[in-house]
Amino acid sequence: MCCVALDVTKSLSSSRRSETHRSTTPAVLLSGVTRVFGMVPALIRVDLRVQRGETLLIRGPNGAGKSTLLRVLATALSPTYGSGSVLGFDLVDGRQDIRLRTEFLGHRTRLYEDLTAFENLRFACDLYGLHPSAVPAALEKVGLSDVAGERVRSFSQGMRQRVAVARALIRSPDLLLLDEPYAGLDMPAKEAVDGAILAAQREGRTVVLATHDPTRGGMAGRMMVMEAGRLLEAKSPA
Amino acid sequence: MTLVRQTFLMARKDLRIEVRGRYAMGAALPFAGTLLIAFGLSLGPGRTLLQQAAPGLLWLAVLFSSVLSFRQAYQSEGEDGALEGLLLAPVDKAAVFLGKAVAVVLQLLVLEAIVILLVAALFGLSLGHQPAVLAGAFVLGTIGLGAVGSLFGVLNESPRARESVFPLLVLPLATPILVAGVKATSLVTVSQAAERGATSWLGLLVAFDLVFIAAGTLVFGYLLED
Repeated sequence: MCCVALDVTKSLSSSRRSETHRSTTPAVLLSGVTRVFGMVPALIRVDLRVQRGETLLIRGPNGAGKSTLLRVLATALSPTYGSGSVLGFDLVDGRQDIRLRTEFLGHRTRLYEDLTAFENLRFACDLYGLHPSAVPAALEKVGLSDVAGERVRSFSQGMRQRVAVARALIRSPDLLLLDEPYAGLDMPAKEAVDGAILAAQREGRTVVLATHDPTRGGMAGRMMVMEAGRLLEAKSPA
Repeated sequence: MTLVRQTFLMARKDLRIEVRGRYAMGAALPFAGTLLIAFGLSLGPGRTLLQQAAPGLLWLAVLFSSVLSFRQAYQSEGEDGALEGLLLAPVDKAAVFLGKAVAVVLQLLVLEAIVILLVAALFGLSLGHQPAVLAGAFVLGTIGLGAVGSLFGVLNESPRARESVFPLLVLPLATPILVAGVKATSLVTVSQAAERGATSWLGLLVAFDLVFIAAGTLVFGYLLED
């Protein structure tokens, strides 16, 4: 009985240590991460450290590997070589934990065209175990309350992106990964994306933003440049 | 959230999309109708020949319609990267497989009801001998098609896959369903005394369904992952 109690205490203590360790580790820590598609390397020995609460801007031309890097961080792709952790969880073994705490917003909005904006967000709430009562407020924040009942098929790219931003707002993830979120957007949609980044910053969340739009990303604390699969330090965006 | 609840959510979403767009039904029903009418005309007015050919034509129409239905079911996932959203969501990937299978099985059962009535009218096929066995053959066969289609339909959305991968994989694998379905349907529509023979074909369909539902539940997550 005493041994069992001791084991339980040890296990709880170990679990707490593990949680504490995770909360103090960097949000992103990559070491020598390489990703190859067939014979073509998209990422070459990428080392990256992003502190919790930091906003990192990654610039680079099309095809430099920005999207691949963000998809590796979101665990949509596995690294071919190298290792890393996101929010303290291993990139490969802890991907379910990473997915639970991360939102990946790319130029593909991951919406169903024949569902309405409301139904899309409601479905996301169902998947993530969130209460759907947050959906109307999120649509209000991105200025789409009036068209909540309309099918996404009839939306412009900008409106779709705003629905995706609303999904990110509902989830409040620990790490927000944004891959070219401004591509093809009008000004209100760009402002909605900026609003989501600023909201995440205010709440102390980590943001990694990849864009080649030189007019955006001024709110980032640090900038890096991606060139031909390699990640290089750069001057501050400000 | 339980696997059953997740499966329900997936199936409800797919059915809602199909009801709104009628994509699969809009393609599958005219296809099945045209196939049956064309064969009916080419086989001529001989009633016996039409009745003998009817079970095979019926199942061929169902098989090809299922290919169209699964293409559509996965197309909606691929249009704007929604499948990646399912991959990254904290849901059991088996629920995605089961949900897609349930949605397409329900669509196909509606289609089959219409096609069976069409065949009965066009070819004079008798449905009255063993209706329960006939219904069992179609339900079990459709579940098998649903499991195979849901399992391999995801490959169609892979960036490395080609359009032809899905029928190339599914049609050979569905052959046991086609054989068992045609045999069971022939036996119950031709003779009242053939129930025992038909039920043994139903047994084959049950075995096929169990194997592919188990396989899909276990391996679908690996197919979905990078």
